[in-house]
Amino acid sequence: MFVISCPYCGEREQSEFKAGGEAHIERPKQPTELSDDEWAEYLFMRKNIKGIQYERWNHAHGCRKWFNMVRDTSNDEIKAVYKMGEKPPSV
Amino acid sequence: MSTNSRLKTSKFIDETSRISFKFNNKTYYGFKGDTLASALLANDVHLVGRSFKYHRPRGIMTAGSEEPNAIVQINDGTAVTEPNVRATEVEIYEGLEASSQNCWPSVNFDIGGINNLLSPLLPAGFYYKTFMWPASFWEKYEYFIRKSAGLGKSPTQPDPDIYEHQYIHCDVLVIGAGISGIMAAKTAAKNGLKTLLVDEKPILGGNTIYKDNEDTSINNQTPSKWISDQINELEKLDNLEIKKRTSVAAYHGYNYLLARENLTDHLPIHERKNKIRQRLLKIRAKKVITSTGALERPLVFNNNDRPGILLASALKRYSDLFGVACGKKNVLFTNNDSAYETALSFINKGIKIEAIIDIRENPNSKLVKKIEENQIKIFKGYTVVDTSGYKRINKVSIMQLSKDGQKVVGNKIEIPCDCLGMSGGWTPAVHLFTQSGGKLSFREEDQVFIPKIYTSKQISLGSCNGDFSLDSIIKNIPGQLKQFFEINSTEFDNLDIESNEDLSKRNIWLLPSDKIFGKTKPFVDYQNDATAKDIKLALREGFRSIEHVKRYTTTGMGTDQGKLGNMHALGIIADTAGVKMGELGTTTFRPPYTPLTFGTIVGRNVGEYFDIFRKTPMHDWHEQNKAEFENVGQWKRAWYYPKNNENMHQAVQRESKAARDSAGILDASTLGKIDIQGTDASEFLNRVYTNAWSKLAIGKCRYGLMLNEDGMVYDDGVTTRLDENHYIMTTTTGGAANVLGKLEDYLQTEWPELDVYLTSVTDHYATASVCGPNSKKILQKIIPDLDLSDDNFPHMSFKNAKIDGVKCRIMRISFTGEHSYEINIPASYGKSLWEKCMEAGKEYNITPYGTETMHLLRAEKGFIIVGQDTDATLTPIDLQMDWIVSKKKYDFIGKRSLYRSDTIKEDRKQLVGLLTDDPNEVLEEGAQIVADANKKPIEMLGHVTSSYYSPNLNKSIALGVVRGGKKMLGQKLIIPMENKNINVTVSDPVFLDKENKRLNA
Amino acid sequence: MLNFQTAINDQKNFSEIKLNEISPIRKLILRGKSREFLSAVGKTINILLPTEPNTSSSNGEITIIWLSPDEWIIFSNSIDNQDFNQIEEKLVQNICKTKLGAVIDVTDQFVMINLTGNKIFDLFQKGSPFNFNEFRNKKGATTQTLLAKIDVIIQNKDQNDINVFVRRSFSRHLYSWMSDSASRL
Repeated sequence: MFVISCPYCGEREQSEFKAGGEAHIERPKQPTELSDDEWAEYLFMRKNIKGIQYERWNHAHGCRKWFNMVRDTSNDEIKAVYKMGEKPPSV
Repeated sequence: MSTNSRLKTSKFIDETSRISFKFNNKTYYGFKGDTLASALLANDVHLVGRSFKYHRPRGIMTAGSEEPNAIVQINDGTAVTEPNVRATEVEIYEGLEASSQNCWPSVNFDIGGINNLLSPLLPAGFYYKTFMWPASFWEKYEYFIRKSAGLGKSPTQPDPDIYEHQYIHCDVLVIGAGISGIMAAKTAAKNGLKTLLVDEKPILGGNTIYKDNEDTSINNQTPSKWISDQINELEKLDNLEIKKRTSVAAYHGYNYLLARENLTDHLPIHERKNKIRQRLLKIRAKKVITSTGALERPLVFNNNDRPGILLASALKRYSDLFGVACGKKNVLFTNNDSAYETALSFINKGIKIEAIIDIRENPNSKLVKKIEENQIKIFKGYTVVDTSGYKRINKVSIMQLSKDGQKVVGNKIEIPCDCLGMSGGWTPAVHLFTQSGGKLSFREEDQVFIPKIYTSKQISLGSCNGDFSLDSIIKNIPGQLKQFFEINSTEFDNLDIESNEDLSKRNIWLLPSDKIFGKTKPFVDYQNDATAKDIKLALREGFRSIEHVKRYTTTGMGTDQGKLGNMHALGIIADTAGVKMGELGTTTFRPPYTPLTFGTIVGRNVGEYFDIFRKTPMHDWHEQNKAEFENVGQWKRAWYYPKNNENMHQAVQRESKAARDSAGILDASTLGKIDIQGTDASEFLNRVYTNAWSKLAIGKCRYGLMLNEDGMVYDDGVTTRLDENHYIMTTTTGGAANVLGKLEDYLQTEWPELDVYLTSVTDHYATASVCGPNSKKILQKIIPDLDLSDDNFPHMSFKNAKIDGVKCRIMRISFTGEHSYEINIPASYGKSLWEKCMEAGKEYNITPYGTETMHLLRAEKGFIIVGQDTDATLTPIDLQMDWIVSKKKYDFIGKRSLYRSDTIKEDRKQLVGLLTDDPNEVLEEGAQIVADANKKPIEMLGHVTSSYYSPNLNKSIALGVVRGGKKMLGQKLIIPMENKNINVTVSDPVFLDKENKRLNA
Repeated sequence: MLNFQTAINDQKNFSEIKLNEISPIRKLILRGKSREFLSAVGKTINILLPTEPNTSSSNGEITIIWLSPDEWIIFSNSIDNQDFNQIEEKLVQNICKTKLGAVIDVTDQFVMINLTGNKIFDLFQKGSPFNFNEFRNKKGATTQTLLAKIDVIIQNKDQNDINVFVRRSFSRHLYSWMSDSASRL
């Protein structure tokens, strides 16, 4: 159980949050222009890294805001949290 | 036959309060403060159980939670019975009844004892090797194995006790209230930190609390006096909370720890009423100090498991704390100085010591000399080669060890005794540290694993960190605390410590015997009856990884998790395989540290609190009118309203007919309702629904289908345009929270440029849906001034209105195919509105109907229910709902997926209607659909998703998904059931009123 | 006439805690992001929206709780407040009609339960993962968290005087859970 620092509400227990998978996968602006393979790449393909991973989280039982988190999956250390639309920090 | 072994007064035992208890149906007496183990030992009872595999007699070995042998059943036959309890941890109370496990018919005469004679036939892996085949026989074997491998009896009655959870946030958690923990907690609290100190025992102070031999002093006081003064001061500190009888079970990441607090187990049963029995503490600490101490190691030698053989430190605890002499003729056997501390206590209390056997060749510390001065015979460089005595040790045989310690030499000496205390040195209790992810290092000099790399803000202090002597604890801890808390001084900086401790040790993991190895019984894991022979056998058979050896031999897999023997197992593996222990690593220490009751884990989440029940504003009415309820998501929804002993089928048939013939009313308050506002609201709806929204006029409603990005149907519902930039969306009952979450996700992350606000108003409104040919008349009675003509208020439109001055919204929408109105009113008026509708509808026999009738009515119309007729593998095209997918819109969620190569296949499963040849035959939902029942293997084409007997059509109807079903209209298919094949014909999914005439009836 | 029915319709007095549903209390959700929105709200109701997370602001008539960077709940300080209708109308006029944001009536979406007594936080500890160590001494502090697995908004109104807002359909379950737990404090 992590302690996650919501960029809006501050430190909260993990049970207030929902995980939302890999971050920085932008929905294609013109899906109709894409081939099946290109669309499938967006739709299905996700990384599963041992180490530094960029993830989306939602403070579901708090302010309901989505944000991004950098987590080391090997030891669960949270390296950074940042708001949607902000540039990912280098860690 | 029992004799009293109680010594003179111990200050920890209240001799004024005598307590009677039963063990194996015999009454004994102890005192307040006794554990079951100390009270039994005071009554000279050593034999308490039989071992797991060989059914050897076993006695109490330890004085703590590491106990492997004295595992008992408490209060057998009652609702509060508990198996596998350690007698060393049970505090006695008036009326306690305990009994031995794993023996039949009694602990004194156990038929299973024959296994001991058969032991050559029961080597490691015996069960794996023997009961492997034939596989079908396993169930038969299992019955006998389970019976003979006694693990106590599960309670058969419901647990009458109450349990709960508690979240605790503190600055500092200190685990273990021995001397290290006391110093740490006091320092933390005095520095203004909110501190929690927990200890598994009912008394604080660890083993320092009874350390009052004259050889050691702190500030010129005995350690026991010094620490009790510290504890007295500690208990007065404001920002310190102390929890006794509290065992930390698990140490997770981010300093999240779970602990079990025992609140009533030490009380007589009649005093426990309405009290919380056990509490699961969920502790989040900024900093953690682990001061869990160390566990004394046994020695591994031939027949080291007889009743009367205890750890030397346990003998000391029993004599010094409980005032119990475990034996009258004691022998101590050691590889270090610890046993001499016990000897000193014994000398001071007049307990007789026959001899001390020390495997060290030349122990010469001050303490050893002092014992020698007391005329105690010390055999230096000797080892025990055998013991005898079936139900109680009566003799040890000793021989001299060779220089290399690998064999014994010289003559055998026999020493009669009734108690043997052994000490193999100490193992730091690093269990919690490793659970936290910490890494250990191996200290060669005394063969211990100690904490090395911490993964969170924590330190280990004292003997769990490898500081075994009081001297080093007192000297090291102030510095460690200053660094950890970033402070300049502690009150313990200049303590004056006098101590004679000597840490020299001669470590031999497996002590030799004069007998050939194969004929010996050197136990490593007492609880699981694993011997050094089993471990060596595993290595001979090719096992190398310690995790594999562990599982093959079951070493360390008992309820005690091998707290005593794991290190010896590792040592023997290392020695045999010729590798270094540090390189071998350890097995994984898994939570919980000591077993937890299910009650503690579950807490208060039982009975009515097992799951959350959401209730609609009309709930009380449904209850008063005898509705049966169905769980939908977290909601309790009225399922059907049985009248005059109707069964479900009869009630649903009546309700369904009434709704079509005259009028029905449904509580639709559970549907999700999302208020959508903003200048881009229409654009937003365009992007999330498959159909177009821009042109929906204000005041109109539209049905929408929402897909996942993979093109599969996700949710559906009607959305109403209330104003230029204001909509209200309804979702399915179960999908409400997820739909809002998903829409927020898109708004916040993909389309932040859209000016749209989503707000849940599900609970704000109560919704009564009135349907049927007479619904219009009923509504008119309730709202006389509203023009209900089709021109003014057509199907798929909404009106604001007032009922008795209360504002409400009325949608003319229909999920039944009938002329129908949904009245939305603030929830506080929901029940009253419902009653008003019932009153107004009385003359039309308005019939309340539940979810089952709703399902039937919509199935007659072929309307889908997301989640029943769909399962996240169906596109709108598969559902034959092509009409709702806009061809003109450039994009919406899931659009691109609708023409992936996979989704355009023609032989996908598609929704169809199914009519049985026999109109009275109702299909089972979930039944398989096939075309040819004779060809093996039978090819499955799909399954039935919805099935009912329609009272309005007087026949059975069903919906199902069938591969390529769209093209099968009129085709015969088969539903193979257990005893028969049912013939069906594929039909259009709309069974009733295809022209939608009833909507405007 | 339609009868008004409170959600819980009960009150409990334990030795250390009193539980009481406060009803009817008018409530609105305010949504908006822009500076213009913030100042328009301020001008309309003569009180600034709290922009610091986990706080509330209050005047004699109403209280506003921060819920999220673009979301607030505003509620009447007294029951059956007729003036609140004016506040709502003005907000709709100055916020919705001007396209600055959204105003949503949530009077019956949330049930307000008032707790008084000196063991309120002992009760919360039995079912909430939130760290109340600082919250308990901060008048006006608010939080959204879980209590007995149910979403709640908690407001520190005053010493030993706490408001809990819970969605109506969950309110009886939560109230029952709180009563059960409070009976053993």
